Amino acid sequence: MTTTIEAHLPVFVVIMPLFVAFILPTFARRIRLVEGLVTATTVLGFLGAGYLASLVLIRNGNPISYSLGGWPAPWGIQLSVGDLSCLFLLMVASVSLPVALFAADNMTHEVGGPQRATRFYVLYLLLGGAMAGMAVTSDLFNVFVLVEVATLSCCGLVSSSNQPRAAEAAFNYLILATLGSALILGGIGFLYMITGHLNMGFASQELNRVWQDYPHVVWMALSFLLVGFGVKSALFPLHVWLPDAHSAAPSPASAILSGLAVKGYAICLIKVLFNVFGIALIRDLSMHRILTLLGMIAIIAGSLFALTQDKLKRRLAFSTVAQVGYIFLGLGLANSMSLTGTLFHMASHAVIKSGLFLAAGAIIAATGKDRISEMAGVGKKMPITMAVFTICSVSLVGIPLFSGFIGKWNLLLGSLEAGNRLAQAVIILGSVLCAGYLFPIIRVAYFEPAPAADWQDPGLPQKTALILLAAWVMILGAVPGPFLELAKRAALDLLVVK
Amino acid sequence: MRDFILKRVAALLLPFIQMYGLYVILHGHVSPGGSFAGGIVVGLAFIAFTTIYGLERGRAKVPEKVTTLVESYGTLWYGIMGMVGIFKGAPFLANKIAGIDLGELGALSSGGLIGLIGLGVGIRVASTMITLFSTMMEEES
Repeated sequence: MTTTIEAHLPVFVVIMPLFVAFILPTFARRIRLVEGLVTATTVLGFLGAGYLASLVLIRNGNPISYSLGGWPAPWGIQLSVGDLSCLFLLMVASVSLPVALFAADNMTHEVGGPQRATRFYVLYLLLGGAMAGMAVTSDLFNVFVLVEVATLSCCGLVSSSNQPRAAEAAFNYLILATLGSALILGGIGFLYMITGHLNMGFASQELNRVWQDYPHVVWMALSFLLVGFGVKSALFPLHVWLPDAHSAAPSPASAILSGLAVKGYAICLIKVLFNVFGIALIRDLSMHRILTLLGMIAIIAGSLFALTQDKLKRRLAFSTVAQVGYIFLGLGLANSMSLTGTLFHMASHAVIKSGLFLAAGAIIAATGKDRISEMAGVGKKMPITMAVFTICSVSLVGIPLFSGFIGKWNLLLGSLEAGNRLAQAVIILGSVLCAGYLFPIIRVAYFEPAPAADWQDPGLPQKTALILLAAWVMILGAVPGPFLELAKRAALDLLVVK
Repeated sequence: MRDFILKRVAALLLPFIQMYGLYVILHGHVSPGGSFAGGIVVGLAFIAFTTIYGLERGRAKVPEKVTTLVESYGTLWYGIMGMVGIFKGAPFLANKIAGIDLGELGALSSGGLIGLIGLGVGIRVASTMITLFSTMMEEES
């Protein structure tokens, strides 16, 4: 029995959330049962991801591969669980568990009625399943299907709060994301046209043999995929949908969207860029320069926009734009240090940003105020929430001993190795700006006199969720060992010249 | 009485349209079409019924409860069929190597589990079409 589960674990982590999502609508009247099922699923997902990660660590990076339907690789769909997949799976599982706990406490209240709350949970699990699928799949068309599932779930999650503002944001997102999907499908089509394979490994081999015969098609495919995934992962000039969407959604949805969804598309882009095109082709086409430039612009612009926002959730949403810039910068620098930094920063930002959004959600729910200038005294009235917010902020800025530091440190080492002075300056400036937009919130919350109002920390489940996320931030910062090891090996694996 | 001809013709035709839809769903793996196309045909039959006889009677034929059930468990059915492979000691979604007899080439049973999977997808697509249509109609009225 256990060996059966172990053998099929790569497919179980993907289909289990989907299975549960499908049966949820029939229990819509018993919302407690729905919440229990969702939480149980995320716990099981966490255990599964942890077990897979330990297996891969023991196998020394030898990926576990799984052929769906028993059809071998070039014909059938192949799932392959390597270091990169494990890192991302762990990230998805470790964020979705606290967010599910947090949502269980007041989602019915926030979206209005158990029926709508059930809809939220269905979309939540579909998104989780799609993210897990993105982590393990090594088939290009499968990537497109999962991207679509994730995109539509995200649109539903954004609009779940039943406000006109949320509906408008979701519609904007739907239009832009559909454009992105079309571009991704086009890019995959071009790749299929010249390689005749959808399996990433086989497509990569073929592409490296024939790309010089079709330079324009390769350029088209590359630019379609970059813009398509760029829209979806909110790369700076294409980020216009993100601030509205992430600030209008209910807080658990914002947490999962900002923390995980944008990373899912980034992981897909990493897989396509490094596993299909390969590092040699990227360098030949100077793609890494474009990525570096885009990343640097995103860091500066995202941070500057964040500085000017007075609404708490909008400021956090723009901060996501800046942090996505770090991810792309690391990809562009394209050496082992910078890629390690990117992957680790991805994981730590997922935890940090979920923590920040959940804390912000708890504050907004308790005080009814969403402007930073009105947050005076929140630190005294809601000590635990604000403590979690502070830990996450400090970590995002990149203070040593917190998880954000390790990612940014590796990125900085990577930029030193690449000899890119401008990138070094931008990474440091980004951190300073990050302190500039996050620390004033903490100052207002702790050091300004509190009004005479009855604000309280949220209930036990939400407190547990917040503390879990803060604990994750501290663990990732203090004992990064196994995670950094996974990131390092994944980075080295991406840089292998095929 | 105004729509007498329309209603009579629809009443005569709709069963055949649905039969054809089910045929397309079940023969997806041996002939053109498939569960998606067939599901659309079945769904369109219900949509035609709703446009001719009115939203209320259409809803009475297929209540929201039924569509919710079908949409949820139709998709789950796909997963369950995939699990057959795992219970037989083969990979997820395995068909022939899970020990299912495929019979004669070109016969209806030669798809193994594919026909059953298609049935799940087909009824799910049909019910999604109905839901989409009724939602839009209810919003307008």
